[in-house]
Order: sequence, then structure tokens, then C-alpha cells
Amino acid sequence: MASKRPKVKPPREWRLGSPRRARLDNGLGVSVFERPGQHIVSASLVLDLPLSEEPPDREGVGELTQRCCGEGTLAHPGTDFAEALDDCGADFGGCAAHSATQFQLDVPASRLAPALALLAEAVTAPELAEDDVERVKAIRLAEIEAELAQPGRRASLAFRQAVVAGKFRASRPAGGRAADVAAVDAELVRAFHAAHYAPDAATLVLAGDFEEDPFGLVEDCFDAWPGGAASYQPQSPAPDAPRCVLIDRPGAVQAEVRMGAFGLDRGDPAYASLAVACHALGGAFLSRLNAVLREEKGYSYGVQLGNAPMRSGGLLSMRGSFRSDAAADAIAIAREILDISDAPITPAEVDDAVAYSRGVTPMVFATACGLADQVAGLVAAGLSAEWVDAINQATALVTPETATAALRAQLRPDKLTLVVVGDAETLHGPLSAAGWDVG
Amino acid sequence: MWLHWGVTKVRYPIHSRVLDNGLTVVVSPDPSAPSVAVNLWYDVGSRDEAWGQFGWAHLFEHLMFQGSANVGSGEHLNALQSVGGVANATTWFDRTNYFETVPTGALDLALWLEADRLETLPDALDQANLDTQRDVVKEEKRQRYDNQPYGDAMEHLVRLAFPDGHPYAHTTIGSMADLDLATPDGARDFFRRHYRPDNAVLTLVGDVKAADGFKKAEKYLGRVPRPGDPGAVRPEQAALPPLTGGPRQELARGDIPADAINLVWRAPARDSAECDAVEAGLSILADGPASRLEKTLVRERQLAAAVSASLVELAGGNSLALLSVHVMPGVDPAEAEQALVDAVGEFASGGPTLAELDRAKAAAEREWLTTLADFSSRADQLSCYATFDSPERVNSRLDQRLELATADVRVACAEHIDPAGAGTLVYLKEDADG
Repeated sequence: MASKRPKVKPPREWRLGSPRRARLDNGLGVSVFERPGQHIVSASLVLDLPLSEEPPDREGVGELTQRCCGEGTLAHPGTDFAEALDDCGADFGGCAAHSATQFQLDVPASRLAPALALLAEAVTAPELAEDDVERVKAIRLAEIEAELAQPGRRASLAFRQAVVAGKFRASRPAGGRAADVAAVDAELVRAFHAAHYAPDAATLVLAGDFEEDPFGLVEDCFDAWPGGAASYQPQSPAPDAPRCVLIDRPGAVQAEVRMGAFGLDRGDPAYASLAVACHALGGAFLSRLNAVLREEKGYSYGVQLGNAPMRSGGLLSMRGSFRSDAAADAIAIAREILDISDAPITPAEVDDAVAYSRGVTPMVFATACGLADQVAGLVAAGLSAEWVDAINQATALVTPETATAALRAQLRPDKLTLVVVGDAETLHGPLSAAGWDVG
Repeated sequence: MWLHWGVTKVRYPIHSRVLDNGLTVVVSPDPSAPSVAVNLWYDVGSRDEAWGQFGWAHLFEHLMFQGSANVGSGEHLNALQSVGGVANATTWFDRTNYFETVPTGALDLALWLEADRLETLPDALDQANLDTQRDVVKEEKRQRYDNQPYGDAMEHLVRLAFPDGHPYAHTTIGSMADLDLATPDGARDFFRRHYRPDNAVLTLVGDVKAADGFKKAEKYLGRVPRPGDPGAVRPEQAALPPLTGGPRQELARGDIPADAINLVWRAPARDSAECDAVEAGLSILADGPASRLEKTLVRERQLAAAVSASLVELAGGNSLALLSVHVMPGVDPAEAEQALVDAVGEFASGGPTLAELDRAKAAAEREWLTTLADFSSRADQLSCYATFDSPERVNSRLDQRLELATADVRVACAEHIDPAGAGTLVYLKEDADG
């Protein structure tokens, strides 16, 4: 006979708090989180650089510029740069996302000084040689092909394109499309770097167990970075009209599905309520969607509903992949579940979602890498670390009524956008029969 | 050179003991976050599956979430999520692990749930649960493998590396045909043989004192009886000699973005110095922009869009060494393959430079410290070493990697990653019109 199910004691209060902050004379913002016992220091440099600043027919130059910065610097040309990073045991990366460009460095705390100097070189004084740009461009073109061959990635890109109105940069892939990327040259990359990489539009986030004063190190590395960038007006994307998109992948054994609508950004007063509703419908293991489509029907390995916030607005979608012959039925069931007119979010669902968020948040911020990554993501969205404690307070105040209202306002059952990537021959008939305009 | 900065010595507190029922318990207190990682390793994986049962270990892992005497179907995960925890499980060649990270106040609940399913799961499982999870696992196979470009690579690579009937000659996800053969009785039999306290390790990492951790482990899991029979006995798997003869397979596919070349070798079993030497060699060949293959195939000759290497650490006689190259579109795959073979051959016979080895060591240090930074993956490593060796090995594991000399790497790579003996798997992109 097993013992009685134990009661759970409520979690300790947890707050992220504020970082120690400084600003260099050239305008670079610095945020430092000291975390004893975290022997890997994580650094993230965020450039406030919306990709709407790219020339319209050269989208992808932002990603190419970021990538080329790691291909060699004036002080460490060519692979000398990569070898110098490897000498420190540093992991170096980054990407150009729609609202900001990031450079990211993880390194054992004992070797932060030389690694941070290399990060500064890459950002402030890259080589941007013509050969490097042409090679990275060819690799990017191969990567774009590879992304389109992955059904999940293909579906997510198509959903973005369908939900965000086409005149906004956010409707297209951050890394650009093949034709535009192919047209970028080294001259444009150098011009983009010169115009947009500047300290007064940049923030460096550092987290870990430091062996020496991190502010002094940052000053040593970045003080000579000259500049003044133009300030940008980020776009506020608007939704496009709902529609259905069927992308043929002949012979595919599954259909990748995205169904949803335009969502909310982190600054929206209803953001926490929407997150709670998403957890109830498609976040928890026994969420309404997963309980039926996975645990009852066995149609899928897993179904999620999530709101991915952009700097302005968001992408709110159910995602799942289903056996081709069951996909139309799965989509019909999901559409019914997403219509909560007669089945509002319950108090128990709110309690579970709030408790989940309260317990999981400290874990996300427990490592230096997790912390720097999360805070850099907030900076990239035009926010600061203080947003974390504020949203936790807001989450605690969510009610079944606000959660229900937030979801209903965003997900109108008659105005859903559907993207399906799969075998069109199998899928076209059943989707048409279900009333989707698949063309 | 980097060694002048000194190495960060990790010394985590590690307490362990074996309960009367045979369960090994490891506790590593760390109060830096208000949560505890719970990690259970059962010493069973796809290597323990008989012919005709490929995929069963993983399918039965799913059944562990389908309820037990006092827990409803799906409730294990939901009960932990609704108190702020996360939980999951994975199956691999050598082991099946179950893990949750929970706020400190939910540690008792997590242990109670683990105890309930260990003690009573075989009685609770039924045909309907098995049928649904079989469908779920088939969808998992389709989503992660069958519907992905190159998704069947691992299946072919293990067959190139190991003879028929070898425990590692099939993948964990298994086959649709064998999944169809699973029955509730087959599952019960599997659980009785492998899911026993004396075939498991429980690790707790985080906001718990050692004495409290042992007390709670005893209270909940200590009461699960040790079965009277000795349980499954795994035959000793002798190390196979390096692969010879260069077995080769070519697959023409329409759904892949580009041609790809994969090389596979049998490597020494995990945690040996020789295995570490092969791992360092692979890292020097293909890890990062300063690696040999990146420099020659990607940067100088522009024959490849990407190269990667991995060592799949395995306990049963041999590990697996893998190299993969995505051919740049427009390049003749035969030219890329020849360049790959030449570069690997040059390295395997000449060995690394001191600078290359030092860089590989620096990367190994960073990767190991990153793995241990997080409660959940630290707990997983402690369970791993408690299963295969001793949990204290976590505190010294890095030292063995840092002690490698260039000669160690040269000798090990000459023997174990000689391109002449490698298995080769080539994907060729078919034109749309066939």
C-alpha cells in the first residue's frame, strides 16, 4: 500500500531583481548579474537594430553582416579570430532577429577578459573581407534551402507570412529570402555595419561568477568604440486577413499544422491573461488540445498553443504534426477546442497555469546562460530585466474572466489562419470539405 | 596559451548510499535556486531489446506516464506542472531516464509519484493505454525521423557500424512493425525485469540537504520492495575491433535540400582515455570555424556548407564516432567526399598539433561546465556515473580529458578513425523530375 499523496508546500517568493547597471561614455549600456557558482560567464550584446532598416530588396543583409563579423577581425584576420576564441574555450554566436541583432559569448569565468576583447573586436572592428562575405552568402543560401526542406520550419515561416501583413518586415524570414540574399555584396555589408553598429544603440548583458570587476573589463574592451547611430522607429506590424495555405510536400507521411492569428507583445495589458489561457488550452500536458489530440486520439506526438511575442504584436498559433489521413479531423477538433465561447477558462485552469509559471520562472533564470539569454531577449524587445518581476505580479492577478476574454479577443473561431505543410493530394479534399478555402 | 589561465576546478558536494531494496541514491545540495532536480536512471535501453522488439523500451517509457495504482493517466506530468514543475523522460541505447525539476515544496510529491509508478505500474496498464501510446510513438517517429530530411541516417549508420544482432545495430525509436507487436503482457514482463529499485539510481540536486534527501528517498522509494528474482542479466558485450572494409550505402532522395556524406566508425567504450582521445580528435576535425574540416572543406575549397562531428558515448564495448558533411549545392559530391577522406586520413595518421589539442581541451572544459551549470543536467550526469562507475567521477571527469597528450590522440585516431575502414552513408539529391 503506497503512502498518502503528499501535500505541496507553496514556493518561496522569487524575484529576479535588477542588474547592476552602468553606461560608458560612448553610450554603451551595461547590465551585470552576479551569480556565484556559475562558472560559465555568459555575455550578450544586443544592438537595437530593427530589420526594417534593411534595404527592401536586400533583406538578409542584417544576418549576413552579423555572421561575417565572426569570420575575421582587423586584429585577428581570417581564422586567427576563431582560433583565438577557441584558445579561450569560448563559444561565440549570434543572430539578426527582426527587432535586434545579438552577439553571444559563453566562456569559463577564468578566461572572460580575452574572450570579451574578442567579442568587442568582432562587433567594432570586423574584417568584412569580400571573400568572406561571398562564402558566407553561399552558405546562407544553402541554409535557406535546408530550412525550406524541414516541414516544421517551412510551416512556421508560412504562418508568419500569412498572419503579418506583407508590407511589414516581420512577415518575412529574418535571415532573408534567397533572391534578396543572393543580391547582397560585401560593399553593402560594410555599409550596413558602418551605419548601424554603434554603442549608443547597444546593451551588453553579463551574467556569471566573475573573477574580476566586470565593469572595468567592459570599459577596457569597448571604450574605444566610437559612434552614434541613428535612432530607429520600429515598425508596429498589423495582421493580414485570415486565410488558408496548403503547401505541398508530395508523399509526406505527416501534415505539419499551424493554426491561429495575430497575437500580443509583452507590453500588452492582456499579455499575462493570454499566456494563462494558452497554457490551459495548449501548454500543459493535459491541456485541452493535448488531452484530446494526443492522449485520447493518438493523432500526434504533441500539440501546443503559444503566443510568441514580437516587439510589437505577436504570433499566436497552435502547432502540431498529424498523420496525413487524420490531419483534417485533427484540425476540425482543434478548431472546436479553440472556440471557448461555451467553455470559458476555469478557475482550476488559471490556478494551474499561474502555479506553473511561478515555479518554472526561477529555473529559467537559474543558470548564467539562461539568464543572459532571457534578459537579452527582453532588451531586444525594447524592455528591461524589470519586466520579469512585473509580469510575474501581473500573472498572479489573472482571473478566469480575463484569461477567457484575452483568448477570445485574439482567436476568433471564424477568423483563424491555417497553414498545412503536407501531401496535398491526401489533404486537399478533406480540408475543402471542412470549409477551408484551399484554392 | 589558455593553460596559463588555469582550469576551473568543479567540486560539487556528492553524497550517495544504497537503500536496502538496492536503489542507489545520490544527493548533491545546492541552495542557489529554490528548486530540486529529481533524476531517475533505469539501467535499461534499446540495447536490451530482443529481435522483433525494436522500439519497445521507448514505447514502454511512454506507458510510465499513463497512470499507476494511485495516479491517473497523464496525471504524473500534470500534477507536477500544476505545482510549478517540469517533467519528462528519454530513452537511449544504454538507459531510460525520468526527470523532473520542481519547486522545493513539491519534492515529496515528485518522489511519491515516482514510487507509485515504479511499484504499481504493471498492474495499471491496459490495452487501451498501450494502443494510444503506440499511435503517439508512431507519430513521434514520423515527426522526428520519417518526415525529416536525412531522418533515417542514424538507422543506416548503426547498421553500417555493427553486425546484425548486435545490441547497438538498431536505433531507439525502433520500427513500426515491431511497435505493432507490443502487448500489455510484453510490457508487464519488460517492467518486471528492468524497472526495479536494484536496477535504478535516484539523484537529487538543488535546494535539499543531504540528510533530508536520503530521508525522503527512503520514505517514498525505500518502501518499494526488491523483487525476489535476480532480474535481467545483461550478457557482457565484448568490444568489437575497428570497422574494416569500408561498408558503403547510397540513398537517392527527393526531399533533401542537398547531398550529404556521413562517415561512421566503432570507437572505444565511453569514459576510457582512448574514447576521450577519439572525441578530442573529432572535435579538432569538425568542431567550430577553426577546425580542420571547416578550414579546408568550408573555407578554403568551399565544397561543404556545413560539417559536424559527434561521439555517441556508449557503455557496451564500443561507442560510435560520426562525421557529417553537407555538400555545397552545385559541388560534385564525389569531390567533397574525396576531400573529406583526405583530410581525415591526414589527421588520423599525423595527429593533432599541440595548439589544436589545447583548443579542444578548452572547448571540453567549457562544455562540461555548461552541462553542470544546470540542476537538471547535473543530476543527469550524477545518475549516469552512479550507473556506470561512481557518482564522484563527476568531480574528476574533466581531468582525464585535460591530461591527454598529442600522442594519445594520434595513436587513438590512427586506430579508430581511419577513413579506409569507415562506414560511408551518402545521400544524393534526386531531381524533381526523377
